[in-house]
Amino acid sequence: MTKSQLSSFNWKIAGKAGEGVMVVAKMLAMICKRHGLNAFNYLEYPSLIKGGHQTGQVLASFGPAKCQKKDLDLLVTLGGAGLTEHARELTKDSLVIYNQDAGPLDKTKQQQFKSRLVKLPLTTLAKQTTGAVQSANMGVLGVSVYFLGLNTKIAQQVIKDEFVGKTESVIEDNLKTFMAGFKAGQKLGQPIRQINKKPDNKILLTGNEAVGLGALAGGVQFYSAYPMTPATGLLHYLAQMQDKYPLVVKHAEDEIGAINHALGASFAGVRAMTGTSGGGFALMVEGLALASLAEIPLVILEAQRKGPATGLPTWTEQADLSFVLTAGHGDTQQVVLTPGTVAEHFELTKLAFDLADKYQLPVIILSDKLMLESHQTMKKPEIVQTHQAQSLAKDLPQDDSYRRYLVTKSGLSPRSLPGQAHGLQLTNSYEHDEFGFATELADQTQAQVEKRARKLEALAQEMPRPYLLGPKKVKVTLVGWGSTINLLTQLIENQADQADSKSPLINAICLPAVWPFPSSAFVKLVKSARRLVMVEGNQSGQAEKLIRQETGLIMTDHIRRYDGRPFYVEDIKLFLKKGRMTSHKRHSPPPRRGGIQE
Amino acid sequence: MTHNPFKSPIAPTWCPGCGDFVILRSLQTALVDSGFKPAETVLCYGIGCSGNMADFNLSYGFHGLHGRSLANAIGIKLANHHLQVAVIVGDGDGYGEGLNHLIALARGNHDVTVIVHNNSRYSLTTGQSSPTTIKGTKTKSTPQGVLEQAFNPIATCLATEATFVARAYTGQPAQLTKIIQAGFEHKGFALIDVIQYCPTFNQKQDHAWFSERVYDLKEAGHDAGDKLKAMQLAQEKDRIPLGIFYQDLSSPPYHAQVSRLDKKTLIDQSSTKVNLTQAMVNFD
Repeated sequence: MTKSQLSSFNWKIAGKAGEGVMVVAKMLAMICKRHGLNAFNYLEYPSLIKGGHQTGQVLASFGPAKCQKKDLDLLVTLGGAGLTEHARELTKDSLVIYNQDAGPLDKTKQQQFKSRLVKLPLTTLAKQTTGAVQSANMGVLGVSVYFLGLNTKIAQQVIKDEFVGKTESVIEDNLKTFMAGFKAGQKLGQPIRQINKKPDNKILLTGNEAVGLGALAGGVQFYSAYPMTPATGLLHYLAQMQDKYPLVVKHAEDEIGAINHALGASFAGVRAMTGTSGGGFALMVEGLALASLAEIPLVILEAQRKGPATGLPTWTEQADLSFVLTAGHGDTQQVVLTPGTVAEHFELTKLAFDLADKYQLPVIILSDKLMLESHQTMKKPEIVQTHQAQSLAKDLPQDDSYRRYLVTKSGLSPRSLPGQAHGLQLTNSYEHDEFGFATELADQTQAQVEKRARKLEALAQEMPRPYLLGPKKVKVTLVGWGSTINLLTQLIENQADQADSKSPLINAICLPAVWPFPSSAFVKLVKSARRLVMVEGNQSGQAEKLIRQETGLIMTDHIRRYDGRPFYVEDIKLFLKKGRMTSHKRHSPPPRRGGIQE
Repeated sequence: MTHNPFKSPIAPTWCPGCGDFVILRSLQTALVDSGFKPAETVLCYGIGCSGNMADFNLSYGFHGLHGRSLANAIGIKLANHHLQVAVIVGDGDGYGEGLNHLIALARGNHDVTVIVHNNSRYSLTTGQSSPTTIKGTKTKSTPQGVLEQAFNPIATCLATEATFVARAYTGQPAQLTKIIQAGFEHKGFALIDVIQYCPTFNQKQDHAWFSERVYDLKEAGHDAGDKLKAMQLAQEKDRIPLGIFYQDLSSPPYHAQVSRLDKKTLIDQSSTKVNLTQAMVNFD
């Protein structure tokens, strides 16, 4: 085992809802962060509160740790389930710690996999140590910290921090069970990893929290939402921030109310945001069209989950892209950002507020359950963040000749705010004249439609650009957007230190923003590509179609997943190894014609 | 009213004889008499004949979507609670499409005055039944007669803890003006249901029809502090009480209960500089 392999691992806990599976996974990821490791913690859970199978999975490394990997180094099962469900994730090098209190292990099942298996009475351990079974999950943490060669002092501090505000005895019990688990591990064998602490300049947070942090950095002052997985985490985070920042959070009566509260607050002059998942966004669409026509700045988090309809509420998908791009009746203007890493969630949310303010339109952050509910490390951002209010009307003429929807070359018309003298205006959902009064005149209508459309031309220059990862000359170029960027980053960064002769050399093009589509930048990037493979989490190839629509480019092939699960690194490796591509022809380049300027 | 700064340069486009003219005049009189300034007043409008009033007033205005202007008002008031915020909607707007928002305003006691043009018809869409159309009435959309019972806005708002519930009638403009003014003065949510004649699509409920039925609550000796009595009066079918059914003078409005807004309005707390230290405590 190389040195870098010895200090990286892929760990999983499996148990029942209510057993504290998710908290242990988060704490292990935090322990990793405080060792200076990069970490990614992916959670799977059913849509219920007690019972049912749950998992938490932490990939940690001093190298890249951006997404979920299938092959496990250490699996700990807490409840009865775990072994059969995860047998395919085990290799001959895996170690399994089985909670024998959950029932005897079926011998035939045990023979199905080749991994080393040790049994530990994790429930009894907690009961003997504290008199109760609740802290059994801390036993899992203890035995995991032991086998992964992590520092106990760091782990103990993470436990204290996690339970801050609880009684002394609760903290004491959790620490005791943690140590009992650690010591039980010592009796079972040698650690499988050895991790020495390095300087820690990172933070660990979910995509939802990164969006919230980015919103605060961008000056959010009003957030209204109706709870819906997987956007609820943002509502919870910002609600907690109300007493620390100049922010009001409103749990709205429904999603229609949520977007309209936010539009009202934005009209009155504060930076406003709403958030929901696909079903809630469907309800918000008429409000989106209002924001576009009445030119009201608004930031929206659209947190994709497996649809359509109620679908798989707690599972992931990237299938709302086409819907979001065309949401809103009529010729609407909206921006669609598709952050990949947690760091991009932070940066692009901040940017979303600036774009919404400056261009006076809705900006959608399109993410998904995978990134919004997973924890990922990112470099600590600048503590002091600044932004500028960019579209407000100043020095209004004393003769009340101010025009809210003044037709300008750039399409931008400065916005007066209620309370401002000489700035009276009507923000109007009807087509309107320059003052805001309703109009049905053809020339005024056309002038306003074109004015709004012009805004996107300047805005396109400020959009995040697609970027290339990996070497320039390769056989296969993967293309991805949103959460899939993490998978592509992991593959490319691993490729550098794990040369695998069976796999063709690859690079990747990542799209952190898709509308307005960055056609010329994208076309420039694909110029030297030989075979383009689209990787996306939907059945119908929504981004692939978008690229074809905007550039005329036809991909060689695609990898799609739409079973509620995210892509695993191994899925892509298998595809590349087996050469399962349906065509080995070079992709069809964009036709040479007007429209795409390079 | 000597000088009316709320008068817009655009002339109303309603049908001759429409009650909306009366509501417009009463609204502007109440705004002036209350001492409000156009720059500090936000009028929100829904969609319908009532919403067309957006062009006929001069103030800060938000002409939103059908039913949704009620929800816009909540955000406006929370962003800047120094503004005077009123919502102009119709019966389809406020009692149909936007009913959940109306209840949210009432339950939250948001400091917003809601004036509902209630003519029991969808008139801008040429006369279909509305939530307040009397059961059995034949309209274009209900040729066999409406099968639903009429919606009772007064009882609904009382049941959802509204702190000011009143009804006025366009045939009695002086009382309408006074009630709108009382609604403005009320610290909290105020529902003003304004019953009116639609001369084009509801000729049956004309001024003679209303005159036979309306009576003044105050003259009848009703105590606006008596909620149970108000609920009883809201159930009257044969006669139509006018005036303030109920007013709760003690409950604080929503924004006054938000600790963040204790000292300053939200917009007055805006800053272009943010320190993220406290936002990252749990991430490090």
